[in-house]
Amino acid sequence: MDACQAVEREVDKVLSKFNSLEQQTTKTLSDLISSIQGIQAELDSVPEDTEISTAQTILLAQNSRKIKDAVSKVSTEHKDLHSSVSKVGKAVDRNFPSDFSAVINEEALKGEQKAKLINEVICEHFLRQGMLDIAEELMHESHLNIDESQKEPFLELHRILDGLKHRNLEPAIGWAHTNRAALQSQNSSLEFKLHRLKFISLLLEGPESQQKALLYAKNFAPFAYSNPRDVQILMGSLLFIRQGIQNSPYAFLLDPVQWDEICDVFTRDACALLGLSVESPLSVGVQAGCTALPPLLNIKQVMQQRQCTGVWSAKDELPVEIDLGPERRYHSIFACPILRQQSNDSNPPSRLICGHVISRDALNKLANANKVKCPYCPVEMSPGDVKEIRF
Amino acid sequence: MADLKALEHPTLKVPYEVLNKKFRSAQKNIDREVSHVQVTMSDVDRCLQNQPVTVREMSMVLDGVVEKLNILKRKAVESIQDESESALVCKRRVEHLKEYDKLQGSAVNQWRKKRLDRMIVDYFLRAGYYNTAIKLARHSGIEDLTNIELFLVSKEVEESLEKKETAKCLTWCHDNKSKLRKMKSTLEFNLRTQEFIELIRNNRRVDAVKHARKYFNNLEESQMMDVQRVMGLLAFPVDTSISPYQELLDPNRWNHLVQQFRNENFKLHQLNNTSVFVVSLQAGLSALKTPHCYKDECGERNPNCPVCSPHLNDLAKTLPFAHCAQSKLICQISGRPLNEHNPPLMLPNGYVYGYNSLVEMANNNDGRVVCPRTKEIYKLDECEKVFVM
Repeated sequence: MDACQAVEREVDKVLSKFNSLEQQTTKTLSDLISSIQGIQAELDSVPEDTEISTAQTILLAQNSRKIKDAVSKVSTEHKDLHSSVSKVGKAVDRNFPSDFSAVINEEALKGEQKAKLINEVICEHFLRQGMLDIAEELMHESHLNIDESQKEPFLELHRILDGLKHRNLEPAIGWAHTNRAALQSQNSSLEFKLHRLKFISLLLEGPESQQKALLYAKNFAPFAYSNPRDVQILMGSLLFIRQGIQNSPYAFLLDPVQWDEICDVFTRDACALLGLSVESPLSVGVQAGCTALPPLLNIKQVMQQRQCTGVWSAKDELPVEIDLGPERRYHSIFACPILRQQSNDSNPPSRLICGHVISRDALNKLANANKVKCPYCPVEMSPGDVKEIRF
Repeated sequence: MADLKALEHPTLKVPYEVLNKKFRSAQKNIDREVSHVQVTMSDVDRCLQNQPVTVREMSMVLDGVVEKLNILKRKAVESIQDESESALVCKRRVEHLKEYDKLQGSAVNQWRKKRLDRMIVDYFLRAGYYNTAIKLARHSGIEDLTNIELFLVSKEVEESLEKKETAKCLTWCHDNKSKLRKMKSTLEFNLRTQEFIELIRNNRRVDAVKHARKYFNNLEESQMMDVQRVMGLLAFPVDTSISPYQELLDPNRWNHLVQQFRNENFKLHQLNNTSVFVVSLQAGLSALKTPHCYKDECGERNPNCPVCSPHLNDLAKTLPFAHCAQSKLICQISGRPLNEHNPPLMLPNGYVYGYNSLVEMANNNDGRVVCPRTKEIYKLDECEKVFVM
């Protein structure tokens, strides 16, 4: 934030200087013009052929000097602003680093093949958000061919989601019905939740829709076993349809949060069904990069000070650990607490009989005459009793 | 807020460079008008010395003075307003960046979404997808925050170069002469060379010599070799197969010119050759990349992991992996972290899952659990605790 403020300060200075310069220049020049015009008026008052008097000559000579000085002052005053202007640039450079060459490999994502991949990823990102026209334009300009069949699922999802956002349940219910078997196999309660919301919106219409609501309740039949309690609650709410659900113990059914929730549930379950990620991979990836770059730039600075440059070149691994937060952990990583190394296929995690886990390489190092003592507790065992595990 | 600092250099630097350029041209304008005024004032002085002067003569000279002063006033005000305008662009961007700190909840995500769109617009502009860039900027309302105008100028130049015309690019070189000289740019020389080659291609060799005489006469020592080589071309037919003359006649040189122009334009505005978008994507993919993303066994890849998604998986292939000194374990069933609230449990087959998921599964399943990866069935009490330090 300091960085922004530093730049803003300089920009503000420049702006106020421009402002006062503008006013001052206008005033100076207007004064000069009016003083000349004054002399002209005086000259106009006498016949054209008269010679100008000595007094007027002196006055003009004085004015001439004054004007010459004043206009060159206009120029120098403007020139003096240069230092303020260039301070803005210096503030930007000082506060915002611009050189990424040491933290990333500039060649890594270059080339036609890679560019095509990036374009496809971006295109998918737009399709996912329903920005169809932009995706089309990109395909056109980058000569990218994306199959209609690849586009279809995104478009359908987006259409349904758009409906949900406008509280239109029909497309979603239709979709959930078609995919009922697949949804059930992944334990999704999406269809029930959709019917439930539809039922609630019927309740809201008041007593005249009671019959409709009752008829609609038939749709709950397939879910009677999986969600008995919810069905009971919904049926119970019918009792209060006359006096208004708002004033009943069932008022919680009307919470608008449910509409946000149904959008999330739909996105999650539909994406899982289609094998897609819930969030756009591109935005997750770039967001991760935004988190990762500051520490990488910092470590670069430290490494340069200690004269070991080329953060990337040393190993096939980033130089520092980057914490992207728990929701950005997609795989279990086991790092051996003894060797401080990530486990891999040739060095898998191993569970000692006491339950502590270390890597196999560490185990081999600790083993002594067919005996291993757990490094964390006083248990001894033979290496054969240790079990390889997978997270 | 460290990400602001790391990523936003071009957002602020480009409008600054524009401001700087405007400042210099404003100075030039003002100086020119000032000197005009000075000249008319000298006229006044001369008039005064040539005694006697009639009122009519004097009045005419003074009319000139008033006119020039008015022009100076108008030009000065216009120039300064122009400069203020570009300073305001700078200020608006700083203000947008400052918002990031104050936002909370979903507004932060909206801001980040805008940032992603800004980055993509920049990427598109660099790649030459101008229409897509403009559409996207309009859609997200970020026209003010992206450097579209700068790139639209270069679009015109690039298009003319692709049509094998040099005029627009030469005008651009002329506009940015002093900076290009400071950068020791060879763009103008290369353009002139290309013009020479085109003359040869059209068999106008006499004109080519004239052209060379006009433009190759005050070059630096280091360019002499190039000039000699190009002049050698005069002796060869257009369809020669002798190196390096064949290469000189290669129409592909035009594409190199486009590329060179692009790079010089970036340098002129202090832009990196790599877009912030590509930089962030690369760093992000590395930070997310684990060896698991490249295993084909069932259940290893996670559909939510960006690096596991098909295209990004390909892209990340050559990038380094994330560094991990501390174990970060998640339950394969629920995707939730394994920790003291959700301790890991090992099934007899060696696979480890979270306590919460296994208990939930057992409750629905008469106390039995199914390993999702091997489909083996065990009783919950067969599971053993695992301690990870």
